[in-house]
Amino acid sequence: MNLIELNNITFRYNNDETPVLEDFSMSVVRGSCVIVEGDNGSGKTTLFRILTGLSFPEKGSYIFDGAEITKNYLKDNEMSKLFHKKIGFLFQSPDVMLFNPRVYDEIAFGPRQMGLSDQEVEARVEDCLEIFGLRELTDKAPYHLSGGQKKKVALASVMSLNPDVLILDEPYAGLDKKTQNWLTQFLKELKAAGKTLLIATHSSEGLIGTADEMIEIE
Amino acid sequence: MLPEWMKQTDNYVPPKDGGTFAIKTIKTIGNIMSRLKVQAGHEKKRHIPALVKLIGLFVMIVIASACQNRIVILGIAAVILAYLCTWPAKDLWGVLKPPLAASTLAFVLFVPAMIMNPAGIPNNLIVVAKVFLCVTMVTLFNHTTQWNHVTLALRRIHVPGIFVFTLDITLKYIVLLGNLIQDLLTSMQFRAVGKHDKKYSSIGGVMGVTFIRGTEMNEQMYEAMRCRGFTDDYKGL
Amino acid sequence: MHIPENYLSPATCGVMGAAMVPVWVHAVKKVNEELPKEKIPLIGVGAAFSFLGMMFNVPLVGGTTGHAVGGTLIALLFGPNAACIAVSIALLLQAVLFGDGGILAFGANCFNMAFVLPYVGYGFYRLFVKLFGGNESIGTGKKLVAAAIGSYIGINLAALCAAIEFGVQPILFHDAAGNALYCPYDLSVAIPAMTIPHLAVAGVIEAIFTVVIYAFVMKTSPDLTYDAIRAERLADHPAEEKGSHVPVFALIAVMIAATPLGLLATGTAWGEWGAEEIAETSSGGAPLGYTPSGLENGWSLDVLMPDYTMGGVGEVLAYILSAVIGVALLIILFKLISIPMKGRDTVNAS
Repeated sequence: MNLIELNNITFRYNNDETPVLEDFSMSVVRGSCVIVEGDNGSGKTTLFRILTGLSFPEKGSYIFDGAEITKNYLKDNEMSKLFHKKIGFLFQSPDVMLFNPRVYDEIAFGPRQMGLSDQEVEARVEDCLEIFGLRELTDKAPYHLSGGQKKKVALASVMSLNPDVLILDEPYAGLDKKTQNWLTQFLKELKAAGKTLLIATHSSEGLIGTADEMIEIE
Repeated sequence: MLPEWMKQTDNYVPPKDGGTFAIKTIKTIGNIMSRLKVQAGHEKKRHIPALVKLIGLFVMIVIASACQNRIVILGIAAVILAYLCTWPAKDLWGVLKPPLAASTLAFVLFVPAMIMNPAGIPNNLIVVAKVFLCVTMVTLFNHTTQWNHVTLALRRIHVPGIFVFTLDITLKYIVLLGNLIQDLLTSMQFRAVGKHDKKYSSIGGVMGVTFIRGTEMNEQMYEAMRCRGFTDDYKGL
Repeated sequence: MHIPENYLSPATCGVMGAAMVPVWVHAVKKVNEELPKEKIPLIGVGAAFSFLGMMFNVPLVGGTTGHAVGGTLIALLFGPNAACIAVSIALLLQAVLFGDGGILAFGANCFNMAFVLPYVGYGFYRLFVKLFGGNESIGTGKKLVAAAIGSYIGINLAALCAAIEFGVQPILFHDAAGNALYCPYDLSVAIPAMTIPHLAVAGVIEAIFTVVIYAFVMKTSPDLTYDAIRAERLADHPAEEKGSHVPVFALIAVMIAATPLGLLATGTAWGEWGAEEIAETSSGGAPLGYTPSGLENGWSLDVLMPDYTMGGVGEVLAYILSAVIGVALLIILFKLISIPMKGRDTVNAS
């Protein structure tokens, strides 16, 4: 069954003449890994804005997990929270994702929101610190870390929510080789665990064999 | 290496929580951004120098405010509204929304005064009308003038460089930091999937990070200025 | 808190603007002394930060939100003098670019929010820091309490100033019949109407907004606060330690005391009404408050069109202009109706 379905979507900004996306369709099966490729300004960002419920197409429909995602649907507080719980999004720049005073709080933000008990929250954060190799940075201010570390903290803060779908916007940008390899390994394990992955990237070599599909946007 | 919980799918039911401050702020700042962008709007068609318009705006507001003569006020209203008639429909709402909001607010505020003292009603209504006219003039100015043309004009009449420079970078930072706040709040909203108990510390974080980022950007900009030959002479900017 | 156009008389606006000139001069001078050269463009960051801070919806109980001014916060982060300039620029942009707060009322808004608010807020912050144990080394918690008290007092004093500015309007500026020409509420209404909501709600928002952001910055980047910049400067020039702000506070005190007096003096001098009308006043009614005699002469065309000197010509002209306005309004209305709601949204949103 398709988890994500975009049917003949058209989108344009502020009554622009040419739409960014025109009659665009795609579908993602649950548990698959899809790589999205496209040059700058190709509509990749717009596509992600639609998928994460930030923008809504003027034509066509977006079905997520059996429900059509519309402005009205997301106006319902509970629906929108459930939607965001299921979809994890890693912004291209980790700077816009870090607003807590300590790395620990940053990762704990999601689990605390979910109303987990203190022990459960701590367990999740500890696990994340472990697998992301952030243990020594626990009490540091996320804002003052290096680019690679920031990206890891940002990803950890999304993963602690345990989303079903993970959408990553240029996750490899700004990472050194070692961290890139680590990330590839991590994504492979996520896929093996049945998570659905949507990845926009210019450097997809590492993921060949993992990806089920490549989508190119023009 | 994945922990057990990450391999499973959570069966999560979100609680009810009415907090929408993040969405409201994203919207407010989004409106500001779009209004800063819309500025290019009508300028191309008519070439009245920005400075003339700015001075004209100021003079008109002084006249409209100081003048107690109803005929003059009616005259100003007639000119402005007749001019607005020539505007395309899609731009009208953007121009009229702020003055309508401002004059409605003024009216509501004055209702108690009107009830207490009916004899003052005409004067109170005149104030409401003046509020409408003045704000319309300001929005008209903004929809037909690009701000960088105003600062350029200010430079030309020898307003101190440091002042104009500060105005320019303020506008630049409003866009940069405004985008940052929007993105931070959006990413927070994505992760705020339940009961947001620590709203205030999140606000502290969002605005705190914005402040820190702003000062950092400032240092980088100063260094870039130095690299391009700037010698701390703010007067000559 | 932003005073819109036409709530204050142009005369009041002029006085308030004039009062701001020495303040700005003082602030610019001080900033040049205090801030190292590389920090000068920081004023722009401060102004942008102030501008955006005023847009921030701070949550209150039950899903409602309110806005803070953030004057004290800017002073804590950038210093009170830089804050004065930064908030002034933010207010200027709001007035000119967005019609938020009047262009004529700019001086008055600056007086309340760029002068009284940051200096008073910062002054009380320093005072309480001193009371809590003196120098910079006291704990973050105490500094935050001081910041909360400072910002709360700061915004409430600013609101009181705004209330006084409103309240003197009907006393000073009214027509021959004694009816207010601008803000119709006198001091007895304006002061409680402004101060009670600020004491109860807006002051709390301001204090929360100030404390949470100041706390975050002190925790993650304490070197960026004005306290740090100040400590560094004091280490270089120990002589500056005392009294650098005494003149400013003296100035504030004098101005707060003198402003209503100044308004009274200039109000009558400026004379919003013509010579004939002043003559009328003697038979019209008492200069303060409203009188029944004003009512008796009241409800005739004279009130709606008091420019009777223009006689019939004025009336005809008024009808013509009204006709123009009516037709224009209809056209605008039809144009607005012609675009569907959706189109309207996209014009405004993002």
